[in-house]
Amino acid sequence: MLQYRLEKRAEPSRIMLYAAPVLAVVLAMIIGATIFAAIGYDGIAAVREIFLTPLTNSYKWQDLAIKAAPLIIIGVGLAVCYRANVWNIGAEGQYVVGGVFATGVALATYGMSGWWILPLMALAGAVGGMAYAAIPAFLRTRLGVNEILTSLMLTYASVQLVYYLVRAPWKDPMGMGFPQTRLFSEAARLPTLIPGTIVHVGVPIAIVVAIIGWFVMKRSLMGFQVRVVGAAPQAARYGGFSHTRTIWLALLISGGLAGFAGMLEVSGPFQRLVPGFPTNYGYTAIIAAFLGRLNPIGVIFASLVLAITFVGGELAQTTIGLPNAASGIFQALILFLLLAADLLVRYRVRSVSTSPRGATT
Amino acid sequence: MDANMPARLALEGITKAFPGVLANDNVSFSVQPGKIHALLGENGAGKSTLVKMIYGIMSQDAGTIRWNGEAVRIDNPKQARRLGIGMVFQHFSLFEALSVLENIALGMDAKIPSRELEKRIRAVLETYGLKLDPHRIVSTLSVGERQRIEIVRALLLSPKLLIMDEPTSVLTPQEVDQLFGTLRQLASEGCSILYISHKLDEIKALCDSATILRGGKVVATCDPAEETSRSMAEKMIGTSLADVEKNASRQFGEPKLVVSRLSTKSEDEFGVAVADVSFSVRAGEIFGIAGVAGNGQNALLDALSGEVRGADSEAITLDGHPLGLLGTTQRRKLGLCAVPEERNGHAAVSEFTLSDNSVLTARDRKGLVGSGLINSGAARNYTGEVIAEFAVKALGPEALAGSLSGGNLQKYIMGREILQSPTVLVVSQPTWGVDAGAATAIRQALVNLAAAGSAIVVISQDLDELLTLSDRLAVINDGHLSQPLDVDGISIEEIGLLMGGVHGTSQETRIVAGDDVAVSA
Amino acid sequence: MSMDLLIAICMTVIGAATPILLAATGELVVERSGVLNLGVEGMMLIGAVTGFIVMFTTGNPWLAVFVAAIAGLLSSLIFAVLTLSLSANQTATGLALTIFGTGFSALAGQNYSAQPVELFRSIFPPELVGHQVLRLVFGHSPLVYFSLLMVVACWWFLNRSRAGMILRAVGENDHSAHSLGYSVIGVRYAAVAFGGAMAGIAGAAFPLLLTPQWAERMTAGGGWIAVALVVFASWRPFRLLAGAYLFGLVMTMELYSKAGGGPLSAIPAELWAAMPYLATILVLVLISMRRSGSTSAPACLGKPFIPSS
Repeated sequence: MLQYRLEKRAEPSRIMLYAAPVLAVVLAMIIGATIFAAIGYDGIAAVREIFLTPLTNSYKWQDLAIKAAPLIIIGVGLAVCYRANVWNIGAEGQYVVGGVFATGVALATYGMSGWWILPLMALAGAVGGMAYAAIPAFLRTRLGVNEILTSLMLTYASVQLVYYLVRAPWKDPMGMGFPQTRLFSEAARLPTLIPGTIVHVGVPIAIVVAIIGWFVMKRSLMGFQVRVVGAAPQAARYGGFSHTRTIWLALLISGGLAGFAGMLEVSGPFQRLVPGFPTNYGYTAIIAAFLGRLNPIGVIFASLVLAITFVGGELAQTTIGLPNAASGIFQALILFLLLAADLLVRYRVRSVSTSPRGATT
Repeated sequence: MDANMPARLALEGITKAFPGVLANDNVSFSVQPGKIHALLGENGAGKSTLVKMIYGIMSQDAGTIRWNGEAVRIDNPKQARRLGIGMVFQHFSLFEALSVLENIALGMDAKIPSRELEKRIRAVLETYGLKLDPHRIVSTLSVGERQRIEIVRALLLSPKLLIMDEPTSVLTPQEVDQLFGTLRQLASEGCSILYISHKLDEIKALCDSATILRGGKVVATCDPAEETSRSMAEKMIGTSLADVEKNASRQFGEPKLVVSRLSTKSEDEFGVAVADVSFSVRAGEIFGIAGVAGNGQNALLDALSGEVRGADSEAITLDGHPLGLLGTTQRRKLGLCAVPEERNGHAAVSEFTLSDNSVLTARDRKGLVGSGLINSGAARNYTGEVIAEFAVKALGPEALAGSLSGGNLQKYIMGREILQSPTVLVVSQPTWGVDAGAATAIRQALVNLAAAGSAIVVISQDLDELLTLSDRLAVINDGHLSQPLDVDGISIEEIGLLMGGVHGTSQETRIVAGDDVAVSA
Repeated sequence: MSMDLLIAICMTVIGAATPILLAATGELVVERSGVLNLGVEGMMLIGAVTGFIVMFTTGNPWLAVFVAAIAGLLSSLIFAVLTLSLSANQTATGLALTIFGTGFSALAGQNYSAQPVELFRSIFPPELVGHQVLRLVFGHSPLVYFSLLMVVACWWFLNRSRAGMILRAVGENDHSAHSLGYSVIGVRYAAVAFGGAMAGIAGAAFPLLLTPQWAERMTAGGGWIAVALVVFASWRPFRLLAGAYLFGLVMTMELYSKAGGGPLSAIPAELWAAMPYLATILVLVLISMRRSGSTSAPACLGKPFIPSS
């Protein structure tokens, strides 16, 4: 009789390292289709609408690009952070505070013009994200407080900050009582890349961020430091790399990038701060970082896949009446299956016969 | 003895394969009632795998285990204990945060009320003259006391066979004596003992018979009383021993490393810190530091390498430059390199390639980085050099460190530091868990580095190794370092007593590293 | 302050604390076995939505709690299979479970928003429940008594029972427990399943005890606060009580501030809403300052166990 046994590989399989995410996405489609069929929807149509239509419908490409851009930028930062074994899961909060800081600049320069306003907003966004990530960094390095919990709690608090600002001090005086800021002036709005589309300059910037991130992680001593601290903290100390400084570095990079993404969102698609500004990009980017194998180039592809599920999810809502939550289910399934498929990177499945050799006594 | 009486334990053709390795190949031998039987072999010879099968932690691929003549299947430790097999592990299977009583209760299969259990524990302690407080939390106990928990746990089950896996590696000579007394008493009461070790003199002193394993196969079964340590060592290693070659007329230069009144604070609450340590090492000299595990060796290495920085700049000087406040990177730049005891995750990153592991410590002295970027070509070249020079068996510079065997990884690590030609090299346990061939190569490389004018500090628990390598030797005990002794004309008794923290008294010890001990100069 | 108001406040505090206490008790047992399940929030949402749906369709709160427990347990098994059988990273898997729970509950509850249900009220005679003072003892939902019972049971289990001792041993040194013949994976499966069931019940407590309806993400980070509470309690059951009631107090103050008037409304409502999260951070900071150096965390917490054979 045959049964299967897991055997540890001498070296992790490189093929499986890259095949596992693809396998996870494909399996998520199959299982997702089954689930939706089981609860009374057309499962195959759901998968088609969510995963294929955004690709075949060229009108949706610009949607994909502007949804993928923030995911890439935040995901690259998180990939660096997780490589260092620092678990910043509050990127959503850092993204929100980045947006808030950028809004502050936009409102302060309201009515002004000048090329410097957008760079200043970008700077403010990055600084805001960094400042917000500095809180868990400080608490972790000084007091040993777990960064998972602090960064997440700060996210919940950041949402309240947005509510407060748009309700009271930053409320648009001409907004007919709506809780939102005034529309940014022209100089504080992100220019579009291709006239007549919604594709803004954040899209190429995201690609550049990923390439720089990849280069830094692959070739620089700083990237080496992050990798070695994450893989073996004792060896890092032996090699002369400070654990404390690496935690700060990881949180500041991921916080800064998340804050920058917040600035791009608020000055691009939103062009004002509204209560709906926290859009969960910071959470979805966690999936993007894992699905991209914590590799900045991988994060580009992973973010595209996730952007497809966002756009496809919206499409499926209108075309086949699939609920709003469907894309979230697919994203979680992808992450679950990726974590499961990772086993194949470290182990191989081998069939063994159950009767041991020579057991004739 | 009655010839018809079946052996307490008999192994017939035991075979166990792991991916790529045949850990046990057709192993057969038997242990008689009331006898102490040694299982002897180098690291990696398959001893641990074999006893794990006897104790039911692993199952054999082929072969039969007979217990008092009957073939048995031992699927798990519970079943082994039910048969009457007890085991004391090399790495104790204890729970730090739990009490002695709870630890023992966890090793018992029957549910015994704690009051009743405590009564029984006290009875066992009394019978064998052992000292142990059942209510202490394990994390507060010494290594010897911890081993006693394991022994009491095994004895409570009145075992018919007791397996002891490398029991003396963590004990002082005096504690070893005590243990041997307990084991002899047990054997006289009819309990068989399977004693696993690679220490030949212990086996000669204690055991009635011995089985020698090499590469997973039985190479000999013999009576230790009729063998010399050297003859058993050669059976164990398979070739005649290559000795380390040392120039008898070597000369020492100026002091290179001077340590004066070095103290550090312990990082975790159970660790031992370094207290007021002073010594100096001259150019061309090898300075040995002996001691039982856990007496501050790791803290001393951390303090010397710069992983833990002291408060006094002048506590460590190299060629007169104060190093006390500098980190590892600056110390390396100035010529002080170090190799910690633990290979995986400390001296090397298993998940990284060998090239990346070279960047870890050789980046400045070998120019592997420039303007913040890694020069991967230079890293590969240097790694290739280490691999070639030290005969490291690896697929190349891009092989993962974790894919190398322990001995090869250690050769790579030592080579990585030695080829940086450090002025001072500090190494801890340089041949721990390494096969004899690699160990000799590493020791020779250290001797050659000293001959080229470097000052070397070797921290080791292997007294034979220190006697082979060192010119002078000191003993570390509870963070304090003894006065250095000249290795020529040193007395083992004296070292033994210093290791146990006893100063100035003389007492006979059974462990004597005679002239015929393996691998001596 | 009048007696009535004081008692009313106590009742609210106890109610608000109960879901967190339930979830934290489950997570404490999970963590003592050496597993860090960060999916509590997700499992609670799954428990909340199933509990609500069962209550809405059957009107039977006992059944609702039971089904919510089963749903929480089943969802925890996803985590168990991935982390224990496939040795996936526990942090990442816990996050995935929370993301999944958020999506699943939104999907399952999409047709139920703004539909009212009955609260799960005290089962004692109305004279006692309505009594001015005695309601402090008899006026609570059965879930409140259950949560207190579970804290005591959890303490007894961990410190007085043999099974609890084995569970602690597994969390303290998995390899030793394995070599003594205990099933590390088996013990951890059981612990994770228990934690899942408790999180499911904790989730159901939101619609049955606090706000009698279903809303997306209605647990609002309560699962994460429960995880933080376990740290605050230094992995000891009775300290959970103190922590949970402290949070209950913070949340009660938020409720009273919304009611308007008095000194509480001088602070912006949003700050009150953020208070439980900021208090969590504060509590974590305080506990880390008091605990110098030594930690009481189980030694194997969050580390995957891969048996040597």
